[in-house]
Amino acid sequence: MLGQGARLYWAIQWRRNEGLGALFLVLVVFAVIYAGLFPGILAVGAMAKFVQGWFPTAMVAAAETIVMLTGGIDLSVGPMVSLGSVVAASTMQGPLGILGGVLALLALGTGVGAIVGAFVAIGRYPAIIVTLALSFVLRGVALLIMPRPGGFVPPSLSEFLAGSHPTAAFLLVLLIILWKLYQATPLGIGLIAVGDNAEGAYRSGVSVTTVRMSAYILSANLQAFTGLYVAAQTGSGDPLIGEPLTLAAIAAAVLGGVGFLGGQGAMRGALAGSLLMSILINVMFFMGLPLVAQYVVQGLIIVATVSLPLIRTSLRRAS
Amino acid sequence: MNAVLRLRRFATTYSRSLVAYAIVAILWIVASLLIGGFGAYAHLRYIVELAAVIGLVGIGQTIAVIGGGIDLSVSAIITVTAIILPLVTFDVDATGLGAIGLALLVAAGIGAVNGLGIGYLGLPPLIMTLAMATILQGLLILIAGGSAISVTNPSLDWLGSTHVLTISVSIILWLVAAAVCLFWLHGTRSGSLIFAIGANPVVSRLSGVPIRRLTAATYVVSGLCAGLAGLLLLSMNGQGYVGIGDPYLLFSIAAVVLGGTSILGGQGSYLGTIAGAVLLVTMTALITVVNASEGWRSVILGCLILAMLPLSGRDQSR
Amino acid sequence: MGVQQAVLGARSVSKAFFGNPVLREVSIELVAGRIHALLGENGAGKSTLINLLSGTLRPDSGDILVDGHPIASLTPQEAHALGIAVVQQELSLAPHLSIAENIGLGAYPRRGGIVDYGRLAAAVAEIAKELELIEPLDMAVGRLPLGRRQIVEIAKALYIKPRVLILDEPTSSLSAPDVAILMKLVRRLRDRGVAILYISHRLNEILDFCETVTVLKDGSVTADRPLAGLGPNGLVRLMVGRDPRNLFPPYASRSTGALVLETKGFRAAGAIDVDFELCRGEILGIGGLVGHGQEDFMMGLYGAIRAEAEEFRVFADGVAARSAPFATVAEANAAGIAYVPADRRKEGLLLPHSIDFNLLLPLFASRSLERRRGVEETAITERLAQRLNIRGDRRRPAQALSGGNQQKVALSKWLALEPSVLLLNDPTRGVDVETKREIYLALRAMAAEGKAVVLLSSDTPELVHLCDRVMVFNKGRVAATLPHVEASEEAIVAAAMGVRNAPTLEGEPV
Repeated sequence: MLGQGARLYWAIQWRRNEGLGALFLVLVVFAVIYAGLFPGILAVGAMAKFVQGWFPTAMVAAAETIVMLTGGIDLSVGPMVSLGSVVAASTMQGPLGILGGVLALLALGTGVGAIVGAFVAIGRYPAIIVTLALSFVLRGVALLIMPRPGGFVPPSLSEFLAGSHPTAAFLLVLLIILWKLYQATPLGIGLIAVGDNAEGAYRSGVSVTTVRMSAYILSANLQAFTGLYVAAQTGSGDPLIGEPLTLAAIAAAVLGGVGFLGGQGAMRGALAGSLLMSILINVMFFMGLPLVAQYVVQGLIIVATVSLPLIRTSLRRAS
Repeated sequence: MNAVLRLRRFATTYSRSLVAYAIVAILWIVASLLIGGFGAYAHLRYIVELAAVIGLVGIGQTIAVIGGGIDLSVSAIITVTAIILPLVTFDVDATGLGAIGLALLVAAGIGAVNGLGIGYLGLPPLIMTLAMATILQGLLILIAGGSAISVTNPSLDWLGSTHVLTISVSIILWLVAAAVCLFWLHGTRSGSLIFAIGANPVVSRLSGVPIRRLTAATYVVSGLCAGLAGLLLLSMNGQGYVGIGDPYLLFSIAAVVLGGTSILGGQGSYLGTIAGAVLLVTMTALITVVNASEGWRSVILGCLILAMLPLSGRDQSR
Repeated sequence: MGVQQAVLGARSVSKAFFGNPVLREVSIELVAGRIHALLGENGAGKSTLINLLSGTLRPDSGDILVDGHPIASLTPQEAHALGIAVVQQELSLAPHLSIAENIGLGAYPRRGGIVDYGRLAAAVAEIAKELELIEPLDMAVGRLPLGRRQIVEIAKALYIKPRVLILDEPTSSLSAPDVAILMKLVRRLRDRGVAILYISHRLNEILDFCETVTVLKDGSVTADRPLAGLGPNGLVRLMVGRDPRNLFPPYASRSTGALVLETKGFRAAGAIDVDFELCRGEILGIGGLVGHGQEDFMMGLYGAIRAEAEEFRVFADGVAARSAPFATVAEANAAGIAYVPADRRKEGLLLPHSIDFNLLLPLFASRSLERRRGVEETAITERLAQRLNIRGDRRRPAQALSGGNQQKVALSKWLALEPSVLLLNDPTRGVDVETKREIYLALRAMAAEGKAVVLLSSDTPELVHLCDRVMVFNKGRVAATLPHVEASEEAIVAAAMGVRNAPTLEGEPV
């Protein structure tokens, strides 16, 4: 029976790669180009630095994907990460030190996630306006706690997370493992069922409200801890540092094939998308393009990725 | 039908908008009593002048939202207009109207690109306008960098400083634009079709509604209105700089939601947005008086929108 | 033979939506080891009753009884736990999940919080064998055609090893061999002691293997008796409450022979190579099993989906005007073609908007560059409302109306444009008997005025009694075009199944 179960599980996993072939191919091509242009990246230290730069984008892409799979969206990712960094940098001076900071972030993520979940899952208000309003609130709170970048992050933590250790890579692997575990639970499978056909999921006995609430709580926690990482990277909290991440998260998810209506897409796609974007940004940076060009490129990526399938279907209909 | 019945019908249809007006009235009365100088004519007029900027952007945003979409590029378009106008004002253009016309053309043009993508390519409005905003932000920084560009444009100066019968020209501009918007939405057939599209695009398409054309037009109007708002803002500021339009995205959406229009589309009115704009400026003024910081303003704004959600409409499906 | 305990039942349940009563004090009892038929017109309340019995909805009054005990507030989760399974017409599947994950949805075997794929695979494999579900179980359900998805839906119901199985029109999208498999399965379950509630419009199926029948008419139970001794006519009489022949107006052809629409080699999505002629004053029926191209054909004619044709002609005043199918709906409207969709709630009406606005929508859409004029518009809607007898305050939102009245609005709104061709997609689905009569009379009147009506219907008696000709689709092509005299229920069903020259079945045609 173990064999039968494993066979089914891995077959399903393999099937979920459908549609991602092109993305993976493009990713490999760009990775090769990147390594070709800057062979120094292949050194362990440079590679670790690259992963550290990629890490926040990957985390927020994962957070956004969890929510989008249920058919929702989160426009408050950036401010949440900023708030996370502010909370991290403000709570680690206390007697509990790093542990205190972690607990505070856990409380932040769970609390905020529960509030959004209450509005969206229980109140049935549109996620777009709830998270948009929430982004104001979170930004304001971050500014109130820390009007200017500051606070304190223990240097040991900074060194551990964003120094010369390959911690970021391990954390990413940990993220993937935890996600696969979650996806193998009824709540995890429920994410896709609810995003695909919420009425049908309800009739099947799935607790739609619980599935949605868990999605928002998980997502918020991922965002909060991304804030911790960013604070460790910069050594301080910053109430506005996360602003660009909202768009980056959506861009990465969209690039990875995650759909807006729910149900469609996979975490691996979003992570691949975020990696591709990181590589693109690095290539542009090394080629001497100004930092803001990345915004233009991100915008173009989103439009191109979403419109390509639409163009393809209308071309097919015309022939 | 007798007048009382008519009035009751009006009240129920526009009940959500009326709540916003009621809140404004209460705030104004209480503030005038408690804060010296608040209730002075010049001060209240100043509030309305500031609200005119939000109100103008709100025209496009209201129409977009009623039609089932949203325009996240309005702040970028405001900034574009505010930066381009000084750059295209030349001495050869004596009145400065040519430059104004050109700037508005650019704003409408950006809206047209949005409209083509959303209406004809079928891109989700959130994506298209978000992407457009990002691209424009990047381009603006490349063009203007961090510096502020001053403007000397006779027409613009006239717009920003003249009063007709003690009413600012800017307010008159808003009133005229509002009248056109209200007439179109509630007095013409094509305006009514926007409500249909927002309520159910499938039904609208099968009923012969020219969805593509109307959707594209919506975003052209939105771009144009954002351009007008940018002009007004520039006339008040004297200089354009990157980021000048940033607060107005959230303000425009807030004004629409506070005014009682449903974010899901299909119902609402610009009447409410007018009250929403005035409400937002009033609140900002009050917060400034009590010396609260940027952080407080952001928090209160967000909470206010969340509080108004029960009036704004829920997702009926599971 | 003692009195058997009912496994599942309803006792005097009532339910209303938006003030419209849908069920009035309905009682029903499902006994173990018995196949119980639930009959009723569309709109009689069958789906609502099923939703109450399965926990998806809760009654406004009355009780749901399990093993004789009333259950307060039954939810779908509790229903599953109690062994109640439903297969509804609207599938509850998630297209992006695999077949196995769909079958076990809501009832996954677990080991320490994680889904036990081993036990899931074993259980699903067993059910798949019983249903002859041959597709790989890791395949995404979204890749399956509708008929196969329905089989997966049935498999899902079987997964929880139900004591009660409710089947709502399970054969509507199934191929003939799948229908046979299902019938065998249902009998096997009955023999194992499962209580079965079976809803179907196919009277032959019901007479074939159901033992008891409950009839719902306009929300009330009008009959609850064993099927012994009833023939097809008797069954229909129970459903409709009158001699079926009085439901339809007397047949009289009004076809003028003047062509209004003609096409050869028409192709659109699932419709392949269709030759089609339509005359003024004609009522042309379109039949066939669900999903065999007839809907695609109609949408293609209307310009709602892409279509191609070797020849395509629209005639105005006897002169051919076009040479290619319509590219947009607006073009079709301008040429005088109107379309009433099957799903009035999602495709036919703007539910939150007023009846008036809905009635004016096509007019506004085709002539949009005009101002609103209250007086003139009221006169127009008044006229439209009178034509099909739409009563009451027209400022009410459309969702406040009953199904039948909603359908009247969905149909009337086109009359403001005075179309020459009306394409109707299942116009009487979910409509009560009185409204059906009114609609049939209205169709006859339109034909008499010289309009052409294309009536796509899953209700075979409609095709038999109303139409001058019936085109039956099978696998995307026109399998047969039957003139009125040859269009019997058997002939239509046979053509739909792809059978040629079928011998007439026993019993008189309804």
